This record gives sequence, C-alpha cells and structure tokens, in this order.
Amino acid sequence: MTGRVVARRAVPAALATVAVAALLANVRSRPPVIPAPRVTPPEPEVRRVSTRPATASGPVRTGTGRIVTTPFSVIQVRVTLTGKQLTRVETVELSGTGARTQAINAHAEPILREEALKAGTARIDVVSGATYTSESYRDSLQSAIDRARG
Amino acid sequence: MGIPIGIDVRDDVDPRALDRAFDHLRWVDATFSTYVPDSEIARVDSGAEPSPPVRAVLARCDALRRRTDGRFDVHANGRLDPSGYVKGWALEGAAAILADAGARNLCLHAGGDVLVRGERAPGRPWRVGIQHPLRRDRVAAVLAARNLGVATSGAYERGAHIIDPRSGRPPEGVLSVTVAGPDLGTADAYATAAFAMGLEGPGWTATLGDYAALTILADGRVLSTPGLDRLL
Repeated sequence: MTGRVVARRAVPAALATVAVAALLANVRSRPPVIPAPRVTPPEPEVRRVSTRPATASGPVRTGTGRIVTTPFSVIQVRVTLTGKQLTRVETVELSGTGARTQAINAHAEPILREEALKAGTARIDVVSGATYTSESYRDSLQSAIDRARG
Repeated sequence: MGIPIGIDVRDDVDPRALDRAFDHLRWVDATFSTYVPDSEIARVDSGAEPSPPVRAVLARCDALRRRTDGRFDVHANGRLDPSGYVKGWALEGAAAILADAGARNLCLHAGGDVLVRGERAPGRPWRVGIQHPLRRDRVAAVLAARNLGVATSGAYERGAHIIDPRSGRPPEGVLSVTVAGPDLGTADAYATAAFAMGLEGPGWTATLGDYAALTILADGRVLSTPGLDRLL
C-alpha cells in the first residue's frame, strides 16, 4: 500500500437519527427482601428469554449452570445451543415464589463477560459512538482524531 | 444540519472513486431524508410506490423489526424513518464503490458508525475505539479489526434520543450499546434495538450469532458477548 487518501466532507441531514436529550435514571430501586432458599423450594419460577433461532441448525444441547446469587435473587441458568448458536437462555429463580426480583440481566451474567468501565487513552484510528450532530462533532473524540491525522 | 463523514483509503485509488462514493452518499441523503419534504421516503410515507432500492431497504428493515421483536421499527417516531438502518447501509454502499475501484484497505465513519476493511498498514488491523460514555476524550474499549461494521446507540450525546416503540419512553440504566459485525446497517439496527430494550438488551445481544456487542450500564458495569473477546 503506497497511497493514502483522506477526505472529510459534510453531507446534509438525514443520515442522522432524530434525537433529544435523555435523562439517565439510576436503575436500582431498593431490592426486595429475599428469603433464604428453603431446603425444599416450592415450584421454581422459570423466566424465559424469547429468542429466535434464525438460521440455527445442528445438534441441540442444553446445559445448566451453577447457581448464582445476585443482590436480588438466587438463580440458575439453563442455556440451549442449536449447533453453535445460542438459541435460548432460561433463568430459573430459586428464591421462592412471590419474590419479584429486580435483577439486572441476572439471566445473562453467566453468558456475558462483566467488567468495570475503564477510561482508556490507547491510540486509535476511529471511534464509534452514539450519533452526534455536526455541532457536537466539533467537540467529539472523532474530530480530534481527524484533526490529528490532518 | 450536516453529518461529518470520513473516508480513509490506504491504497492507491483513482480520486474519482471518492467522488463516486460521496455521490452515493448524497443520493442516499436525498432519497431517505425525512427533513426534505419531497424526498422519496417522504413520498412513500404518503403512499407512493417505492423504487427498487428503497423497497429493498424497507424489506430489510421489516425483517429487522421482526428479528428485534419490534424494538427496531421504522415507524417508531410516527413517520416512516429508516435512518437507523440507512446510516450503516449507506457506508456499506460507499465501501463497495471504493472496493470496485481497487480499495482493499479503508476506514469509513459517519455519525458515529464505523466500517473498516483490510488493514491500516501491512500486518496491522484497524483500531476502532468505543466512545467512553462520560469522558469525551477517552475510549471504553478498543477493537482490532480487518473487516467489520461497528455501530453504537446511546444516550450520552447531547441531543441523542432513542424511544422504545413499545413503551414510548427512553430506556433506563444503559448508557450505550455497541454492536459489531459483518454488515453495518444490521449492526445499526441491532444497536438501536438493544438500547431500546434497556436492561434486557445485553441478554438479547447474546443471541445475535455473528454480531458481537458491548453494553455500558449507568452503574459502571460493562457487559460484552463472547464474540467480542476475539476483537479486543
């Protein structure tokens, strides 16, 4: 590769999505008091995540994960794989019937990696962020990158 | 209002290919703009028959509406508005035009969407940062990629607003969702839908096959799908 062409132009309007400012509410209300799991729990509540297999094909396997205790519930996750594609995630809540949980994606924690938010200064070529208008572009990280690269 | 668009091609390519790419983007804007009273999309919204490319876009958007359980919906704002998909679709078209002219190594960005092909330099993949939701001059993560579309939906930008079509309210608890995968228009729609789902979004993003996702929650947690690991 010997050549390099860099071009920046503004194209009017409508590639933007319509937007107004949104307030971010703190998500956690006070968690309900969860009774300790009984030795012989009553019928557990099964909550399914509705998923679509799309083009999944192949052998269907299910797996049951370890019991997970979150601040809001005690749950166990069952996953179904069709071929290599995750097609269903179910949570089985063991905390007892009647306990409405406010678990934040508790059913997904064994599937998703969870980390703390970090603020990095790594050298990058481009940044993906929520839609910005041309006014806020001027202040944006992408604008700084474009200016630095001339 | 204009959307800054960046095109960075690291091959020798006829500059007229860049002109063609920008012509394509202008055509997309003129056709799909909901701000232009007599754009084709406005006329289609009033009952006109769509041209074949517009019909294809609307068909794809309908499939995405079903795939996202209605969380991506071109009628969510009360008028026909496919810009949540078209933004990425437009860059895919521009990349195809540049590829036809021999560009194998390029990086396009528009309005926060990113599309990369090939490498930034021999042996070096493109480095795509994910905007930190709270610190303008920082990134939350960096993806190393050679062929990827990356789209982010979020509520940290002044003026950003995503409505969940089913509840009519902004979602709670999530600062941003970034989706990365082979088609940028699809990644756009998935990011929009996942963000609209609020706290149920991350679990849903785990079902998206070859599209990976990273969700930043308001409480400072970052949830990413297994597919994202190979990009970090």
